[in-house]
Amino acid sequence: MHEWMARKLSLRLRVFLFFAFVAFGGLAAVLLGLWLGYRRVAEAGVESGFVFAGLVACCGILGLVVWVWFLFDENVAKAIQKLAGGMRARAHADIAEELDHAPARYLGDLAPAAQAITGSLTETKNALAEAVERETTRLAIDNARLQALLGDVPAGVLLCTSDHQIVFYNGQAQEVLSGEVDAGLDRSLLDYLRAGPLQNAYARLVASEDSDAAGDILCAGMVSGEVLAGRMRLVHLPQRSADDPGYVLTLRDVTTDLELHAGREELLEEVFERVRRPAANLQTVLDSGAAEDGNGRAALLGEVGVLTHAITDLGARYDAARGGWWPMEEIRASELVDSVVALTAREGIILTAEAEKLMLRCDAFQIVALLTHLCERLSNVIRATALSLRISAEEDGGALVTIGWFGDVLQVGLLDGWMDVQLEVGLSNVTGRTVLASHATEVWPESGAIGRALLRLPLRQAIPTDRAPAVARRSAIYDFDLMDREPTGALAETPLRELTCVVFDTETTGLLPSSGDEIVQIAALRLLGGKRIPGEEFETLVNPERPIPASATEVHHVTNEMVAGAPTIAVIGRQFHKFAHDAVLVAHNAPFDLEFLRRHEGDIGKRFDHPVLDTVLLSAVVFGQSETHTLDALTERLGIVIPPEARHTAMGDTIATAAALEMMIPMLEGQGYRTFGEVIGAVRKHSRLLKDANSPDKVPG
Amino acid sequence: MTGSETGVDRPARILIVEDEDNIALALSHVLGREGWAVKRVVDGEAGLDAVRTERPDLLLLDVMLPGMSGYEVCQAVRLEPELAEVKILMMTARGNAMERRKGLALGADGFIAKPFDLSDLLDQARALLAGPAEASNA
Repeated sequence: MHEWMARKLSLRLRVFLFFAFVAFGGLAAVLLGLWLGYRRVAEAGVESGFVFAGLVACCGILGLVVWVWFLFDENVAKAIQKLAGGMRARAHADIAEELDHAPARYLGDLAPAAQAITGSLTETKNALAEAVERETTRLAIDNARLQALLGDVPAGVLLCTSDHQIVFYNGQAQEVLSGEVDAGLDRSLLDYLRAGPLQNAYARLVASEDSDAAGDILCAGMVSGEVLAGRMRLVHLPQRSADDPGYVLTLRDVTTDLELHAGREELLEEVFERVRRPAANLQTVLDSGAAEDGNGRAALLGEVGVLTHAITDLGARYDAARGGWWPMEEIRASELVDSVVALTAREGIILTAEAEKLMLRCDAFQIVALLTHLCERLSNVIRATALSLRISAEEDGGALVTIGWFGDVLQVGLLDGWMDVQLEVGLSNVTGRTVLASHATEVWPESGAIGRALLRLPLRQAIPTDRAPAVARRSAIYDFDLMDREPTGALAETPLRELTCVVFDTETTGLLPSSGDEIVQIAALRLLGGKRIPGEEFETLVNPERPIPASATEVHHVTNEMVAGAPTIAVIGRQFHKFAHDAVLVAHNAPFDLEFLRRHEGDIGKRFDHPVLDTVLLSAVVFGQSETHTLDALTERLGIVIPPEARHTAMGDTIATAAALEMMIPMLEGQGYRTFGEVIGAVRKHSRLLKDANSPDKVPG
Repeated sequence: MTGSETGVDRPARILIVEDEDNIALALSHVLGREGWAVKRVVDGEAGLDAVRTERPDLLLLDVMLPGMSGYEVCQAVRLEPELAEVKILMMTARGNAMERRKGLALGADGFIAKPFDLSDLLDQARALLAGPAEASNA
């Protein structure tokens, strides 16, 4: 009947008919009442007749109005709200699906019209998106280049705001800065470095007349106390006021350098200290002429003994530290050997080479130049044939480089002469001898087996490749928008786009923390203004210290065996608390997840008193309370696809929640909620739906 | 073989190659006091000639010499098979481990760093002169 009317009649006519229906229905109720009342007059009197007529008329009118109201609410008011929600979602986020117009089927042309406008909006958006995409791709390529360059700079490079928040860092910077957590975007540099030198240098530069001035600083790490040498330069960007410019800081760990220098200084001082006194004493004894008698002789011998001992001891210490100052790098023995083969091949020398799996610590460029030089001389001067090169491990932890050939043993005198020739390494005054000296080593000839002659050159430090240290992460992470951000003020005034959020999700043994259910897995992501920060993720299993029911394992696939070796919530909770430091916690149904954590605040030793956003409540603000707000429904509405295998894994749900948050931020802004405070205000209106986790006192313990 | 030489009643002959007069004087004095026949030359070339003509039992060889270095002398002696019986004790003022290795690799029998106690030197010299017997026991 409805369907037929909706199809055949126009919306205006239908609304007119409804009102006509109400009018005639009302009249009919009154007439019916009057007729029934008139019939009662004969039996029960005039008074009762009137009352009865009134009652029947009132009930009839009331029933009619309620029925019509119900139809209007169901098919007009609710439908308009749904349609408006859908349109708003499409206005502020990219949703590819067509507007669902089933609920608004009785609203005439409204639904098709809305569909048309959202459709054309989508088209416009797509065209715009394509243009933006092209431009973005170009920028992304530029950025990738910049990132690759800065990621490979051997110094740590950081860009910070005036209040020392990190906006950019490269992998080296993360290596150099050690703290409770790895350095990351929007963390304060003062958590990693002592504040004094940084603030002094910054103040000096700000006060300086020269806007391009750079200041050198020496600062110490907060945790391990390593010494870092740095250079700070202010960055004057056009969009920032000149009063509080950000700065670029390049950092280098000079702890080792300083220790080396200090060690040398100390050794030198000790040399003078320990040689001066016996030398002076010797002179005095000799001058006095007392040396002739027995006592004087004993005195002389005593002083000489002291001197001898001092020199032997100091010499040994000097030798141990020799070569330490020269910049050395780690290189695979095989690469070094390959370079020599390639270089000698250019001279027409055929060299067979092999190397054991070793990392050598040396100035590879110099060593390669020296070995090439030696091969070339051997071939051209003494007509050596069948040249071979081999690098092998030595028992003392060093490596031995051996050049072999068929021919005469090399004369040491000839070798010494070769060692005085300048090598082509791009530095002046580099000879074989200086290369040997900076590596604290020697080279010598030996005779080998089966008519072969050898040259030996030991290198002091070598590491088997399977124990080689990990290469520093080559990356650069940044969010330059942070530069434009006003210095952090009260959280309530912080725009949504500038919030640092940690989105998280937990998997548990069950739904009732109060009955002893516990967390088995936590995953979290850090977001800045809704955008994920690369590399800033947290995912770990937790030992719940109780069996996981099979029904729970069926949902999240975390088994008892998987968590057996995992740390407990006391440990993980502390790590998670550090990860979420200074951020707004975001979860889908946050009070549920938070209650599992808050129950263990005692063991963890930290309070989870972070500000909280709940995507259930945000969904209610954006889409209206009458919608369903499960994570599946929300992500479906927003066109976010969770792969089925990721659903109900902590990280899968966290990624989905983060994506939903990212899409809802512009929608909230579209509704006029721009700051955290405004959003929390809007959320409170929906707190009937759920507890607001920002009032932890109300959470039952 | 060397044992038969020291076995006969003739003092062991020691050749000192050392360019510094003071230490050479002292060494000659001390080694002579042990009853050994000591001869000294001042550079590597003369040293090598003297080794060839005189076939000393022990060559006390300084590393830092004008002209031909101690290493060169050592290598040259070791390259002549007829000089194989000459023991070589090298002395250097820069006695780090690498130089010791180099000296021993070039054929020296002993290596001693200056400054040294004379008693150490005498011990090493005696051990080298009596060498083969000990070596065969070892």
